[in-house]
Amino acid sequence: MHTASWHSVGMTLDECIKCNICTTYCPVAAVTDKFPGPKYAGPQAQRFRECGQLKSPDISVDYCCACRVCNEVCPSGVKIAEINARAKAQIVADRGIPLRNWFFGRNEKLGKIGSYAPYLANLGFHNPFSRYMAEKIMGVARHAPIPRWSTEGSFEAWFRRMPRLKSDKKVVYFHGCSTNYYEPQVGKAAVAVLEHLGYEVIVPPQNCCALPMLNNGEFPAAEKLFRSNIAKLLPYADQGYPIVGTSVSCVLVLREEASEMLDIENDQTRRLRSALWDMSEWLRDLLEQDKLDTDFRELKMVLPYHVSCQARAHRMGRPSLDVMSLIPGLDVREGSARCCGLAGTYGYKAEKYDIAMKVGEEAFRFVRAQGDAARIVTSDSEICRWQLEHGTHKFCRAPIEIFAAAYGLYDLDKRRLITEKQK
Amino acid sequence: MKRIETEILVIGGGATGTGIAWDAALRGFRVVLVEKRDLTHGTTGRYHGLLHSGGRYVVKDPHSAAECIAENRILRKTHAHCIEDTGGFFVVTPEDEGDYPGQFKAACAKIGIPCKEISVAEALKREPLMNPRARRVFVVPDGAADSFQATHSTAQAARQAGASILNYHEVVQLLVEGGEGDRRVVGARARDLARGEDVEIRARMTINAAGAWSGVIARTAGVRVDVIPGKGTMLAVNHRIVNTVLNRCKMPDDGDIIVPIHTVSVIGTTDERVEDPENLTIEPWEVELLLREGDKLVPGISQARFVRAWAGVRPLYQEHYSGASRDATRDLTLLDHKTRDGMSGFLTILGGKWTTFRLMAQVTMDKACEYLGTCKPCITAQTVLPGVEQGHYWLGHRLHEVEENHLQSELVCECELVTRAMLENAARNNPTLTLDDLRRDVRLGMGPCQGGFCTYRAVGILHEMQASSQQSTVNREASRRDSEQSDEWNVAYMQSPSHNLQLPTPQFQSPISNLQSPNLLLRDFLQERWKGLLPILWGRQLKQERLDEFIYLCLMNAEHLPDENLTSAMTEFYARPGIQATADKEVQHG
Amino acid sequence: MVDLIVVGAGLTGLIAAYTAAKMGQQVKIVTKGLGATHWHAGSIDVLGYYPDDAMPVTRPLEMIQDLVRSQPRHPYAILDGTIPDALKNFAALTQEIGLPYAGAANFGDNLWLPSPVGAARPTFLAPDAQLAGDLRRSEPMLIVGLRGMRDFYPALIAENLTKQGQRARAAFLPRDLITDRHDINTVQLAYALDDPARRSKLAAELKKLAQPGERIGLPAILGIDAHAAAMSDLQTQVGATIFEIPTLSPSVPGVRLTNALRNQLRQLGVRVEINAAVIGFHAEGDRVLWIESDASGRPLKHRAGKFLLATGGILGGGIDSDHTGKVWEVVLNLPLAVPRERGQWFRARFFDPAGHPIFRAGVSVNRKFQPIDAQGARVYVNVWAAGNILAHADPILERSLEGIALATGIAAARNASEQSTVSSE
Repeated sequence: MHTASWHSVGMTLDECIKCNICTTYCPVAAVTDKFPGPKYAGPQAQRFRECGQLKSPDISVDYCCACRVCNEVCPSGVKIAEINARAKAQIVADRGIPLRNWFFGRNEKLGKIGSYAPYLANLGFHNPFSRYMAEKIMGVARHAPIPRWSTEGSFEAWFRRMPRLKSDKKVVYFHGCSTNYYEPQVGKAAVAVLEHLGYEVIVPPQNCCALPMLNNGEFPAAEKLFRSNIAKLLPYADQGYPIVGTSVSCVLVLREEASEMLDIENDQTRRLRSALWDMSEWLRDLLEQDKLDTDFRELKMVLPYHVSCQARAHRMGRPSLDVMSLIPGLDVREGSARCCGLAGTYGYKAEKYDIAMKVGEEAFRFVRAQGDAARIVTSDSEICRWQLEHGTHKFCRAPIEIFAAAYGLYDLDKRRLITEKQK
Repeated sequence: MKRIETEILVIGGGATGTGIAWDAALRGFRVVLVEKRDLTHGTTGRYHGLLHSGGRYVVKDPHSAAECIAENRILRKTHAHCIEDTGGFFVVTPEDEGDYPGQFKAACAKIGIPCKEISVAEALKREPLMNPRARRVFVVPDGAADSFQATHSTAQAARQAGASILNYHEVVQLLVEGGEGDRRVVGARARDLARGEDVEIRARMTINAAGAWSGVIARTAGVRVDVIPGKGTMLAVNHRIVNTVLNRCKMPDDGDIIVPIHTVSVIGTTDERVEDPENLTIEPWEVELLLREGDKLVPGISQARFVRAWAGVRPLYQEHYSGASRDATRDLTLLDHKTRDGMSGFLTILGGKWTTFRLMAQVTMDKACEYLGTCKPCITAQTVLPGVEQGHYWLGHRLHEVEENHLQSELVCECELVTRAMLENAARNNPTLTLDDLRRDVRLGMGPCQGGFCTYRAVGILHEMQASSQQSTVNREASRRDSEQSDEWNVAYMQSPSHNLQLPTPQFQSPISNLQSPNLLLRDFLQERWKGLLPILWGRQLKQERLDEFIYLCLMNAEHLPDENLTSAMTEFYARPGIQATADKEVQHG
Repeated sequence: MVDLIVVGAGLTGLIAAYTAAKMGQQVKIVTKGLGATHWHAGSIDVLGYYPDDAMPVTRPLEMIQDLVRSQPRHPYAILDGTIPDALKNFAALTQEIGLPYAGAANFGDNLWLPSPVGAARPTFLAPDAQLAGDLRRSEPMLIVGLRGMRDFYPALIAENLTKQGQRARAAFLPRDLITDRHDINTVQLAYALDDPARRSKLAAELKKLAQPGERIGLPAILGIDAHAAAMSDLQTQVGATIFEIPTLSPSVPGVRLTNALRNQLRQLGVRVEINAAVIGFHAEGDRVLWIESDASGRPLKHRAGKFLLATGGILGGGIDSDHTGKVWEVVLNLPLAVPRERGQWFRARFFDPAGHPIFRAGVSVNRKFQPIDAQGARVYVNVWAAGNILAHADPILERSLEGIALATGIAAARNASEQSTVSSE
């Protein structure tokens, strides 16, 4: 894709000194020939790409899973993953988008449709015949961990049902599609924690952050969603309200990835960026100001913590770990696996599923190595949670659920608020 | 001493020389071409790659401009695969106001150069990094040309029509016979540098196409040709920050053009009269000027990463001229030494531009035909070269071919996507004395790391090839025909990964057996790369070069390899400093 | 509360963090990316050539005495005789982390190991796997490579060794002996050889090739996580001495060392923040309070009582420059000792024995490894610097990169640890 300015990610190809550190650590290149490595696909191939040429020359960049390990280890500051993403978008612009990937991009709409009749939707999608047909016809891997629709209704529906805490201290909550339709309990835990800390929670109109579209190269549609979110959220940002999200990927997109991949950077994106927080990051910030309630109950357990590549991509340190380390009795074990393999929509693709499982083996091995005593695993991203459950058969919880449990507000095993009646 | 008899001897293996050999061969002549080093060693291999639309000269030199547009159209057909259809902009920057743009537009129309004005907004859409404060933009059919590929392709076409092309044959003396009033050049004695022996070539007509060295050649026959060597310096940015040729819309001057060529963008150029065509020292003020002027076309380019600086020497000629080389004519000049100097059998062709090389060859051969008593017409304008079916060059083609054919693991020069087979085929078929020769063939070492990784690999591969060719049963005598090529490998595809999937069978002659020590190849190439880096070594490229130093000193300990006293024909040339000031004295630290 | 932040995760940074952690400091490493350990041969060069690049050094510790007399500002000159201890400590550490390094049998001699192009490279300590390649040994060598492996050329190595009076010959094995993949790099090959079954296949073929009395040189791909087992298996099954020859990057010996050191640091509770490029800092008076690293939302503040720069000079990215000739230190904008004009940066020959003056540019330090300005005054009370960022040496030219990294990293960390942490509040 053409480089629009000296600040475009494509320009960072000039930082590359061909040192091979990125290729050394790429978890995908380590397991398959189909991806020749980040140095090749990113800064090296970028010198052969331009706008308006006969056709996109690329094929293999499609196998980049966008885990961003390459960016992490690069000593020179090349934005390899973003360069790859834009190359993928150029392929889509030239050749069109496969129907399967188009559906992935419409994840929000699918979520909404299924939420009207969750039992039916789950039955329809999650039976072996449907999965087999989906693989044969659409290329959706039959074994990949597709989430189930929540049968308790969407998060937004729950949020509007009950009277909420009013307060002078306000915080905006960005839930994201998966919390809304598949894991509303994560959102419930978030609201519970925020209200426990004395904040009034606002859940304004919001839409999909567009990560599935960005990952699959559908940039024009992604741009529409991004601009729509900016319009919806900016008024709150300008009033000085922090906007927190429990989906570490959504926050990354809204704060950085959409701007970089779409080459959109202006005063609006900057204002939104300065208001957005990852939930753990925001709690840590409160902690640093001595404003966080640290009266945690004891949670006596071994807790493997897989640090999502998306969380690492924030470069914000380990805020989940910083807060969890205050919980008495909690033996958090930080993993160093590079990527769980699912990587957004990557591992759902039939041609990539095996690669994803091989990549994820490092994370699965880490979890297993913590022993049978570790019944619950935590990870910041819902994608990692689904993949880890798939690969290790252990229960996975978001850090906010851990915090909520430590405040005595949440049941980790049953995965619901203490105050909720059993259905 | 070996003797060769032929009809036409061409001296000089640049665009013009090979063009003449091609033209002559197509007209049915027996032709021998001698080039003192590798093809394009001279000016042809050291320019920015512009295929002129003629727009640059419409006001200053309309005759030259008309030639350019005519040849532009022809070359797009005959040498299609060597040309990228980039198009060109003539940009009126805030510094360039005045009535020139109006003159420019009118002159283009008069001469017949397609010229269309577009809005600045439209221009910025196509070239986002162009100066947003530009006032007007005109679109012309400039293009970018790969002079290495073009010259090799032309040479191959000449060979296929029967010509003999001899690289690394340096003319030491023109052979002159006859007495008062009847002096004739009858050929030349040349030194075969690969074998260290002389060869005498006798011809009915000797054509001096030695460009900036024409004076040196002519002098050996006592003929005076005062070439005006106009040195021009160019800098290459690491990648394609523009994809259209950008020209300043004003009278031609230093630093007023940016050419996208292959994977880089070239800012050019300066024009300094120098004494010695081998003196290609680049001075700091030239670099500063190019950066400053470049910023006017593409603001911010001075902060970009530069990978290379080099200079070429224009062979300008103007009778009785003593002014600055910037203002000397660019017209082509054919010197008929019979009428001018009383020396028959000898022609010198000078001046011109790369874009007009075919025309220069035609003019030269037309004159030669007059003397040789035949009137075969020139057919080069209608004759396409092998390889044109590939269509114009497009930036992504190598990547596309590597991807389609899964050649990633075959890459030797990863920066420029050179596969092992491409390297081996070029080494087997094009006379190779140095890695720099291979560089011109396949772009080895021309990317950001400037040979950091591929120098080692190329040396290892060539060494393996040499070992296996020595073991092969190829007739040693047959291998001496090192200027000829196998029918199986086509130079038109030497830059194409997908056309180099099969390694050729070893029954053709292999010049590789003449290759010298791998240690010498390695040392020479690293020095050659260093020479072109010194003028632009700061920032990211300095970091890159420190990594390359780390590899060849700490890891390889390459400067302590055996054969340290060996030299090649190029060692001394590479060792000459590429920049004016170097740290010879005790350095003051601030 | 973090006592010491080390900026940079190359050998200098890792060893400095280790030293400080062992002295009881709470240490954090902040680094943009990973370091030069991934490009080097994996051995410890202390001094290979002195006074200029033409003179090989046979006994570096003794030659350093000469060096510090004639170059009193060289980093080795500040070290006050602690270099041998630093090296001994490092060797002991390598034993502890399961990746033992050793030097020549005659202590104090340089080893002379074969380089990837067959030259003899001087080094002081090498991992066990490389020791048997010492060219002062007399056994003939069989250099074995894999067909199609683009980063290793056994025939060239053997020929160059032979030209230097060694007995050496080359052989090739098919690549699919070790891996089914086409597109491989050295690290992937090394992981493949973590598998005992593949090792046995390799051993069987090597056994056929080797002649009695020969030692076998292979590219450095003999396992990563199971390296010790790989070496032992191969030598037992082949029945010959085997040694590794380093390759172009990625350097597997370098990766092994980095992994082992990082593991050790993890156990000591040292957090390594990678992907944290420093973009700013805040100082009050002569004390640095925090550094800031680039993050997705807002810069991340890293507070500490003390800071140690191990950012690596021009190669490591700790020093940058532009076309005007300006040169600057990237993290704290410390004053640099640098050639005054760009015209003085380089010499005409790439391989000039005197090297290129720009590469001696860097941060000057006092005897405690604290950065000083041109007048010799300390710039900040709580900042130290070590490694390739130091001025007045060209570690690549003189082959002292790892020696300087270790000795100055340890010394600077000791100095920093001994200074009490004053609260930054």
